[in-house]
Amino acid sequence: MAPAHHSLSFCSQGKFWHTMGFTEHGKQCLLPEEALYLLECGSVQLFYRDLPLSIQEAYETLLSQGTVSLPQYQVFSHLKRLGYIVLRFCPSAVPSQYERQLNLDSYCKSSGKRHHKRKRSSSPWLQGKKAKASGNPPESEGTPEKASDSCGGPSHPASEGSCLSEKSKESDPASGEGESAQVPTDAVQLGKLPSCPQSQAGDYGKAAGDSCSGTHLPRWDFTRIAFPNMASDCPHTFLPQPDERLLPENVAGREADATRWRKLVNQKREKLSRKEREQRERESRYKSSVNADREVRRCSNWQEYKELLKQRSQRRAGRRPSHLWDQPVTPLVKPYQVASAAAVLQQISVLQPSHILDGASRLQEDMEGMKIDFSVYQADAVANFKKNNPGKPYARMCVRRFDEQIPSLRAVKQLTYQSEDVPVVFALVDNGDIAFYSFKEFKLPVDVYH
Amino acid sequence: MIQIHVLEGAALVWSAEDAREIRERFRLVGTLVGALTRKPRQNARLGLPLQLLPEEARLLAELGAAVLVRRTETQPPAEGEELTQASLVEAYQRELEESYQEQQRLAGAERGALLAQLAERIAQGRARRREQRGEMPDTVEDSGLLDSPFVLPRGSMMVQLPTARWRPGRVEQVDWTSPSADWPHAGRPAHEARYRVFRELWGRGYYLSGGSKFGGDFLVYPGDPLRFHAHYIALCCPPEAPLPLHALVAATRLGTSVKKTLLLCSPGAGGALAFTSLQWSGLQ
Repeated sequence: MAPAHHSLSFCSQGKFWHTMGFTEHGKQCLLPEEALYLLECGSVQLFYRDLPLSIQEAYETLLSQGTVSLPQYQVFSHLKRLGYIVLRFCPSAVPSQYERQLNLDSYCKSSGKRHHKRKRSSSPWLQGKKAKASGNPPESEGTPEKASDSCGGPSHPASEGSCLSEKSKESDPASGEGESAQVPTDAVQLGKLPSCPQSQAGDYGKAAGDSCSGTHLPRWDFTRIAFPNMASDCPHTFLPQPDERLLPENVAGREADATRWRKLVNQKREKLSRKEREQRERESRYKSSVNADREVRRCSNWQEYKELLKQRSQRRAGRRPSHLWDQPVTPLVKPYQVASAAAVLQQISVLQPSHILDGASRLQEDMEGMKIDFSVYQADAVANFKKNNPGKPYARMCVRRFDEQIPSLRAVKQLTYQSEDVPVVFALVDNGDIAFYSFKEFKLPVDVYH
Repeated sequence: MIQIHVLEGAALVWSAEDAREIRERFRLVGTLVGALTRKPRQNARLGLPLQLLPEEARLLAELGAAVLVRRTETQPPAEGEELTQASLVEAYQRELEESYQEQQRLAGAERGALLAQLAERIAQGRARRREQRGEMPDTVEDSGLLDSPFVLPRGSMMVQLPTARWRPGRVEQVDWTSPSADWPHAGRPAHEARYRVFRELWGRGYYLSGGSKFGGDFLVYPGDPLRFHAHYIALCCPPEAPLPLHALVAATRLGTSVKKTLLLCSPGAGGALAFTSLQWSGLQ
């Protein structure tokens, strides 16, 4: 048997390899808690120095503070006996919410597959005595590999697609027939025009940023790009020849005069259906379009419009009745501020709703020694379970003794943040008795329905 | 002498006889935490080892009925030990071979008996198949089936997985009066307070078990837990510690809703323990 926290196993049969164990240096190994569980079930026999281990000896040899403690093993075996698939938790393998928003997690797992079989030995969190990963965990190792791939050449569909879209934007001005296309004039200063995939990959994924050595200067210097206003009030109709650097090699750019096109715009009369006409007529009685306001039309950009709004609100404020606003007690709300009774109640509410993850991202790392120990996967997923790509777990376990301190709100927030959108369950072990506790969200009932 | 094996502060009993004696003779319950050998993949009934509360282990040690031991660190075998190691391996291999031979013999005998039972049907089936194929019946081959030597494949051999240590290994005693890495409870005020309450209630003839399921320190049974429900939830209150009213109300409500009486225990005046029981009379 190898050092204290591995078990070498030479039988490759057995259905348990489907959900347990890992491969290191070409040999199939089991984690200590997995080996002990299988020994208790009678599925394997453990040998140490050619002698078989009894269960007592296996307990004493495999369970120690450095690897898995007795309460952790008790929770592990309890869940395994119920049929769940229990894996050790690896913090860096959790895709962040941003990555999931971009649908990056499914992409990187499926594309990195061809690397997984050959290249690296998984389960590197065994290297250290602590649960901290000393090497790169498999999933995050896949991400820099993918990024370096896309750095090398745009062979990945996603980055290729975005490259193409980028290139298509550049070629539009080249055609010169831009009816509505925005054309960078020759006053454009391009920052750097580095290889397209590199900066794309550099923006995606937090791990990728380290591996790509390119700088992250924006490609466009927006302070110097002026978009010509070709609307009817500002007759900028002459578009000069676009810059050579923007165009692909075979395409020649030429200047364009948009006067002819402008005359053709807005020729067709808008025909409204009867319903639309009636609706317009009804609305005109009380609604007025923002664009009909002359003062608004005078604003030429957002900044001026916001200034105008501020001035108007101040003017309105100046018309406040003094018997209401100059007293020591002033009204809580202004008439235009609220539209319902619920909004008024919101102003006087004592308890504000708060979510467990509020402010969690800003918390520092120190978690009072608490960490998530296991990820638990549903029992019915055994048929489709893949150790390299386990998917989203059902819950994450944090094993504690019953007589330890109750976790502070700070620790709970940090654990929940670490676990992203998978609920965290606390498994409390009291000398052999296990109980599971978790925090549940609920909304305080509000008396007003709106 | 009962041996209680200590593993990082947890007291485990690996011997079935010891576990039985602890329950029958000493009225200590403990919790079974291992897989049940007959049916390992279920959680309703568990098997050895028996995990004792620290208070239970200490009680047994104080009574002189048990000794706390732990495994000595295994060093790589020294010069003289290598011979013993080799002889142990040899002995094991020999036992394995003997077991294999016996299993083969038994399996062969069983197979022979089974074949003798079904001999007629086998012969009939054979004859029918020969008729279908149009061959001559061959009586010599029929009996050949019973005479072929039976070999039990090595992979189907049954092997025993012992629960407790089957070789008297090297163990050393743990001193339960002083705190150490293996037994950190000694000297802790929380443990001392709990132990006082435990000893007192045990001395009055009750059975006690862990009370975390009901928000207390111990559950107090009038008899064996397999035959009775708990009557009390014992909560140890250290002296001079504040007991907020909302905690008291919560504990009492919980106890009443599960039909148990809350028992507050704390050292009273004069060194004796004072017990206060709370029952919510309004909620039936």
